[in-house]
Amino acid sequence: MKLLVQILRYQLVTSMLVLFLGAGLFYVSVRYLIDREVNKELFQSQVKVRWQLRHLETLPVYILQLGDSLQMEEVRYPGKMLVRETFMLNLAENEYQPYRQLVFYERALGQWYRVTISKLLLQRQRLMEAVVMTVTFIVALLLVSLLLLNSWLSRRLWKPFYKTLGKLDQYQIQQHETLRFEREQTLEFDQLNQAVTQLTSRIATAYQNLKEFTENASHEIQTPLAVILSKIEGLFQDETLTESQLVTLSSVSEAANRLGRLNQALLLLTKIENRQFLAGTEPVNLVPIINGKLRDLEDLIVKREISIQTELQPVGLVIHPALAEILVNNLLTNAIRHNVEKGKIIIILRERFLSVRNTGKTLNANPEQLFERFRKESTLSASLGLGLALVKTICEVNGQTLKYDIDNEWHSLTVSW
Amino acid sequence: MKLLLIEDEKALATSIQNYFQRENFICEWAADYETAIEKINIYQYDCVLVDIMLPDGDGLNAVKELKRKFPQTGIIIISAKNSLDDRIEGLNLGSDDYLTKPFHLSELNARVQAVIRRRSFQGNQQIRFGKIVIEPQEHFVSVEGQEIILTRKEYDLLIYLIANKNRVLTKESIAEHLWGDDADLMDNFDFIYTHIKNLRKKLMDKDCPDYLRSIYGVGYKFSEQ
Repeated sequence: MKLLVQILRYQLVTSMLVLFLGAGLFYVSVRYLIDREVNKELFQSQVKVRWQLRHLETLPVYILQLGDSLQMEEVRYPGKMLVRETFMLNLAENEYQPYRQLVFYERALGQWYRVTISKLLLQRQRLMEAVVMTVTFIVALLLVSLLLLNSWLSRRLWKPFYKTLGKLDQYQIQQHETLRFEREQTLEFDQLNQAVTQLTSRIATAYQNLKEFTENASHEIQTPLAVILSKIEGLFQDETLTESQLVTLSSVSEAANRLGRLNQALLLLTKIENRQFLAGTEPVNLVPIINGKLRDLEDLIVKREISIQTELQPVGLVIHPALAEILVNNLLTNAIRHNVEKGKIIIILRERFLSVRNTGKTLNANPEQLFERFRKESTLSASLGLGLALVKTICEVNGQTLKYDIDNEWHSLTVSW
Repeated sequence: MKLLLIEDEKALATSIQNYFQRENFICEWAADYETAIEKINIYQYDCVLVDIMLPDGDGLNAVKELKRKFPQTGIIIISAKNSLDDRIEGLNLGSDDYLTKPFHLSELNARVQAVIRRRSFQGNQQIRFGKIVIEPQEHFVSVEGQEIILTRKEYDLLIYLIANKNRVLTKESIAEHLWGDDADLMDNFDFIYTHIKNLRKKLMDKDCPDYLRSIYGVGYKFSEQ
């Protein structure tokens, strides 16, 4: 959910709450004031009625100008004075209406009377209506103004934030760039931008250092290896060496060669993981790569009498061309290496996937472990055990999925995108 | 033939120098950028081998300088870096080849000879060894005028053997030359043996003497005796 929508939501809930509470308070206080007024009027009427009743003998009886109903009943004993509220039927409008009554007892000409003065409370109902209407109006007004305010805020006040967010979204570590921003008026956004600038410059430095370290490590290891290999090669030319010395030297040479290949494979793996191979925007057509690779491996395929079946559509995936080569190469060499004599390989390339199926021995290890580094199913010592780990890493970096399936003698590796 | 080696690692440089001296090449050595530039300005070389990671300057600059002054000199970059960027930049600047450390001296030798061959006589030079004559442009191989049809791998193998004649070649170096990064697929070296056997047979069928000698446990040697 967008930040501004969330803020709006809280704002609305809070303002509703405050408004309804305020409306209630307003209603209670106004009602209290009205009640006090009515009570005052009732007591004034009481004074008038009392005075009238006490002077019945001296004054002529006339109708009290009270405007409200006045009731008198003869009672034997006086009771306590009280003020109460009641509903009475208004015959003219045929509905119950609220009244406030003052009941008191007065003695006139030796007889006790219970006097009831009633006052209509219609104003209070009106007040209620007025309060509800006003509150509704204010709520509607508030809603509209909040919406307007928020859209304005998002356009103006939050603009730098969205700008920063957009830049961060586009940020690619491989480009070694440090994000820079213009000065913002809002302190917090300015701080955020400064923090992002610092962070990205630190990341760029760290990334650069890592890259340099990998490169340098490679250089530092490759050079001594080159020295070792060149010295061995020089020694081989020495004709005074005995056969057993040559054989020993040969195994030293083999081991040094292997070390060199291992180092390069590990470096490649690290570089791919560091995302130093950026995919372009155009898909790389895999058909020429597959055909070229099959041509390179032709003699090996012929020697092991493996039959190849291809079903290729001219499609491909978005990937760095060098990675595409490595991917195809490792899938194919894997299919050849783990194949049986006179085996088969089926290569299928379609719109959304590349699948390489080969015949092979049944597998002892857990299929998932095949992708681990230095995992070897066979004991063939020439294999480095990094082929499938490379394929897996390439797929991870580029967002493709790599799946391994086994169906009796058929092993299949599928890369889908 | 005159070579210049620009390489800061003394031990490696000595090995390379020794190797090429046996080939009757004059191989001069410059350990840093400054010496290299100095030498480039004084002498003319047939081929220059440059390590692009030098302590006092970028080897790529040396390549630029060379290219500007002596465009006909062959250039081979040797580097521990195999980053794609460097490789592409190096080739764009006009270097003829790029070799990643560690490499086999026999491989370097074969590449140097290929570069020199391409550079001189516009690549029309014949390769001769004993009775064998090769026209590199046409990939044409003959023994005393009789054409021999070779497969691509057999042809590559023959060129490689001749380039490194009179030397012991290890099986690994042959495998890497023929299959490059796929060399580790050659589970044992029987496979090279198959190619060697076929090549030898095709040559001997045309009455070519057997130049190839197998060195037990190590590899092969191609020589006239």
